[in-house]
Amino acid sequence: MIYIIDHQDSFTWNVVHQFSEFEKVYCSNYFNINKKLLDKSNIIVLSPGPGSPKDYPSTSKIYKKYKGKKKVIGICLGYQQILYCEKANIVQQKRIFHGHQSSVTVTSNKSLFKKNSKFKVGRYHSLRLKEPFFKKNFEITMRCSSTGIAMGFENRKDGVYGFQFHPDSFLTTNGKLLIKKILSA
Amino acid sequence: MKEHKLYKIKFSPYLEKLYQSNKPLIIYKVEGGYNIYTDFSKKIILNKKNVINFLNSCEKLKYKKETDLYIGFFGYEILNNLLDLKIQKQKKINFYKGIFYKPETIIKIRKKISISSNIKSHKFNYLFKSTKILSPFKLNIDYKKYKKIFNFFSKKIRAGETYQIKICTKYKNKSQINPINFFWKLMKSNAAPESFMIRDKDYSIVSCSPETLILKKGKNITTKPIAGTLKKNKFTNKLTALKFFKNNIKETKEHNMIVDMERNDLSRICKPGTVKIKKEKYVEEYKHLYHYVTSVEGRVNNNSKIKDIIKSMMPGGSVIGCPKIRTLELLNQQEKEDRNIFTGSFGYIKFNNDMRFNIIIRSILNYKNFSEISAASGVILDSAARKEFNENYIKAKSLLELYK
Repeated sequence: MIYIIDHQDSFTWNVVHQFSEFEKVYCSNYFNINKKLLDKSNIIVLSPGPGSPKDYPSTSKIYKKYKGKKKVIGICLGYQQILYCEKANIVQQKRIFHGHQSSVTVTSNKSLFKKNSKFKVGRYHSLRLKEPFFKKNFEITMRCSSTGIAMGFENRKDGVYGFQFHPDSFLTTNGKLLIKKILSA
Repeated sequence: MKEHKLYKIKFSPYLEKLYQSNKPLIIYKVEGGYNIYTDFSKKIILNKKNVINFLNSCEKLKYKKETDLYIGFFGYEILNNLLDLKIQKQKKINFYKGIFYKPETIIKIRKKISISSNIKSHKFNYLFKSTKILSPFKLNIDYKKYKKIFNFFSKKIRAGETYQIKICTKYKNKSQINPINFFWKLMKSNAAPESFMIRDKDYSIVSCSPETLILKKGKNITTKPIAGTLKKNKFTNKLTALKFFKNNIKETKEHNMIVDMERNDLSRICKPGTVKIKKEKYVEEYKHLYHYVTSVEGRVNNNSKIKDIIKSMMPGGSVIGCPKIRTLELLNQQEKEDRNIFTGSFGYIKFNNDMRFNIIIRSILNYKNFSEISAASGVILDSAARKEFNENYIKAKSLLELYK
């Protein structure tokens, strides 16, 4: 079972439906966690949401508790949340991407995806990862094709993955494939 | 034949008497004409306490004939109440939070006029209300104040708290109106697909809303969000409007965001895998402007109740901003005046649980001899305060013209 933690976003249910195609999904608000089901689940997804990672200390706790024990996938804010827990800086950026379609490139040969392949994706983010960012086992594997902003990381050892963009958006052309690969990794 | 002419085709003494009586009535635009609902046997005034009961009671009713429906509106505040969101102290005119009516008579105006009624003898009390304008229109916030709010919200966008937010401005005057005259006059120039009118004893609403929020038949549900507005001039047509929207990054981004949000709101109540974009990014033409529209559909889950559908879809995302909950909280902290009906929803729930609801925009509310017309436009990071402020005027224009 997949447990999706909703940070009260207006895109979370797109994520729920996307994951439902592969496995049973349970979704609850971040302030209303069903601890039994969370413990029973084998995958935890941290949803997109407004604000910044420091606004959601309870989600940080959950991440730290289950990192390495369950697969954890972060989307948008969820991606930032994981990086924030790994001591990364999440900062405001000059250009803001809300409802923006961009091309991302797979930039690492350690990725589940083929190096140099490109995806069209939908973006909704005010904040971004400040680089340089180094952390053991964490690898930035995708970047915006035009600006180079980090767009995805993979930690295959601990089973932690994240996307800055929205695989669930109608602007993302092959979001289902991205999710499928990560779920079966 | 133009639809607005239909009501004149056949002289109907019954309709004339109805218009010139004091009977409460509702007119709703439908495909190919208009429906008039009257002879209300029940009137349910909604409040924080009874709204859930009302929605639950709709589940248990039996549908036998066309008059088996509740028709009416939810105001903005009660929709917030349903989501457990608080609104701080505001200037209020204490207008109803929502009212639903059970009609016993439906008059259909198509090429012919047909009347179906559960009442045997129709009586009318003559009452003719003329329109009187007692003071000129005033805007509730000037550009200076508007810009201050605009800049405040721009900061919130930078911080990621909201991705898009709509600022509401309101035109008000002192006036008594004849809503029937206003409505038909409006339909001549601007017969928008979700137009409606309510006349009751102590208030009236006249609306040329273009936006369908919920269209539910059986298990199929559709929503048709509008995001993107272009002012008309001599050189524009539907094709140039489409080009404008496609090439304009600000409008495209605003639109994309709303499409994903409506997909989300439908997904909450629909079966996984059934939510799909039906028609993507097309243009609709109105009297003073063009709109950029997408329709999204899905199939409702067996365990989603009417109250779940209302709570998931309302208030309509395209007139609030995104993400909905945080954006509503920000709006409710900033707005000093009650929105009343504005960005609420008007429509009906049939006793077989089919539904149709719009978003109440482009509307006049006349209550206690005051008229108010509200309009809103979006702050996203690429928008300019002056342009959005002026867009509010374009949106209110066809209604303001009725008072001339």
